[in-house]
Amino acid sequence: MLDEKALQELLGTVLEVDPATVGPATDMDTVESWDSLRHMMLVLALEEEFGVQIPDEDAGSITSYPLIKLVLGDLLSARA
Amino acid sequence: MSAELLDAGPVTQARAALESPTSTLPQLLRALAVLEREPAQRTVRLGVSAAVTVDLLGIHLRRHGLLAGTRLEVFQGNHDDPIGDVERFVADGVDHLVLLPFFDDLLPSLEAQLPGLPESTVDALEDRVRLRYRLALERAGGMAAVFVGGFHRSGAPADVSGRDVVAVAVDRFNAALREEVARFPNTRFLDTEDVLAAVGRAAAFDPRFWFRAKAPYTGTYLDELARRVTAAARGFGAHYLKVLALDCDGTLWGGVLGEDGPHGIALDPHDHPGNVFWRVQHLIAGLRRQGVVLCLVTKNNPEDVDEVFAGHPGMVLRDEDLVVKKVGWADKPSSIRELAAELGVGLDSIAFLDDSSFECEAVRQQLPMVTTVQVPSVLSDYPRVLGRLAELLVAGGVTDESRDKTEQYRRRARAQALQAQAVDHESYLRSLQLTVELRRDERADAPRVSELSQKSNQFNLTTRRYGVADVERLMGSDRHTVYSLVVGDRFGSAGLTGAVVVRWDADVADVESFFLSCRVLGRGIETAIWPLVVADAVGRGARELRASFLPTAKNAQVAEFYDRLGLRLDTASEDGARTYSVGTADFTTPVPEWIEMTHAG
Repeated sequence: MLDEKALQELLGTVLEVDPATVGPATDMDTVESWDSLRHMMLVLALEEEFGVQIPDEDAGSITSYPLIKLVLGDLLSARA
Repeated sequence: MSAELLDAGPVTQARAALESPTSTLPQLLRALAVLEREPAQRTVRLGVSAAVTVDLLGIHLRRHGLLAGTRLEVFQGNHDDPIGDVERFVADGVDHLVLLPFFDDLLPSLEAQLPGLPESTVDALEDRVRLRYRLALERAGGMAAVFVGGFHRSGAPADVSGRDVVAVAVDRFNAALREEVARFPNTRFLDTEDVLAAVGRAAAFDPRFWFRAKAPYTGTYLDELARRVTAAARGFGAHYLKVLALDCDGTLWGGVLGEDGPHGIALDPHDHPGNVFWRVQHLIAGLRRQGVVLCLVTKNNPEDVDEVFAGHPGMVLRDEDLVVKKVGWADKPSSIRELAAELGVGLDSIAFLDDSSFECEAVRQQLPMVTTVQVPSVLSDYPRVLGRLAELLVAGGVTDESRDKTEQYRRRARAQALQAQAVDHESYLRSLQLTVELRRDERADAPRVSELSQKSNQFNLTTRRYGVADVERLMGSDRHTVYSLVVGDRFGSAGLTGAVVVRWDADVADVESFFLSCRVLGRGIETAIWPLVVADAVGRGARELRASFLPTAKNAQVAEFYDRLGLRLDTASEDGARTYSVGTADFTTPVPEWIEMTHAG
């Protein structure tokens, strides 16, 4: 099961925004600090925090909170 | 994290997270956020200029900096622009610098294409490396400390002997880089091949982000690199260890001299555990030869210790290796204080090595400024622990041995030949044989122009994002021209790396967009294209060229670009937006002489 609060915290930490503002509307276009370099850091942080390996094809495309939730949820349930 | 730490304050917890080798990236980020809010004793500005993306390095440098007692403000450079980066860093008051070239990207996939490259191209590449880094290092001459990472390969050799063309070329380029580094007293070479060896190739690279974002390294590699930079920079000025104060029993030899007698202590090079201590004594003797001051701080009878130093066959260290001996029954913190007074050094210049938890704890508590290291209880780990201590003692200094090497490097012929040439930035640029092809409304370029408009942040004057369809529409319209720029040099083409969108309005040419990939900055390309654009404008009957700058969070570096280009500032609004104009007949900025312009379409 994906701990959504932990996910919001993590996005807040990596993107340097208030975790409370992280939600369905959070994506690369709306968050100023979320550029391609920050994105890489975000993928690495997700992998370390949730103990998953995000496949190459997903790593580049999870550019919004809903997409991250989706991919991470799949990875976690595949593992369970 | 242990339950005990969870009860501790946030600062203690954060510090523990920085110290722990198993902390995750989010844990590190949170810990840095907590600790960097605390008042810092020392803040240092450090610039990172790399040929590849290494943003994580900044995080790990801040980690090791804080652990050493220094808060780092890290400035990231542009992509592969060492000369321009250093100029910007100097302007920003940066006084520590890390420069990281990258072998496989000197040309795209260099390791793969190297076997087929003519020798003359490799020669030319070496010259380019020398000139670029020499020019960058010259500009960094006033900084406190500069570290240049060496080259390493990123792929494994197929040849089991390991001596393939890549290995030979990496050695050659490293020798060249070391020679350049040797010219500058504030600059040190960092052996990245050894960083790679320490963490392992499989753990060092993340190919996912290499092809996608030119970010080759994992956090593991960058953390080890940051640790070494911090040691070499003496914690960015936090410490300067000169003295190694040594216990005897259990530290220089096995056993207890007072109980086992001089013949009973373990110090035989052919037997365990004597062989561990014998090896350690050689390592310590090596430190003395590199200028570390050795002293004894031991609880023993002075005559017993003298006897061992004078006559024990297994002793490597001799009486003449020791500068001060504190042998007796005084407590160790007092002895170390006396030692500091006799040597006339601060306590923070002293490292203390002892096997006893009791003694180590006493010194840590009473003399926290002394760097205390305990001999590990697992004896086989002792040489490694001493190696880490050795880094603190000598990693920052230029030693006699390496000074000899420096001389060797200086003598090498190739550098001499290059040195004879008068080298300045312009002749370097000229040696690149830069070409810029400006294409007009080239439909095939639309996808790349669109992509570049989405991705360019730093060198983007108006930050208008175009979809592929937008670009195609503009290209098809009579009222617009989309110029795309293809930049090349003697080493090949850098591809489509920039675009200009101009709107033609009666007798006005209005520059709607101008953006460049940061890969090609610092070469004068940004000014080279304008004479042609203005000539087009004249051809269309435009009497005036207009342009504007719209500020974003990321494009401050081009805020004054149109001023530099020679346009007249017409308006500057409070939010930072600016508009410019120039009569097309009055525009005189030339194409830099080192660039050959062509146009098509």
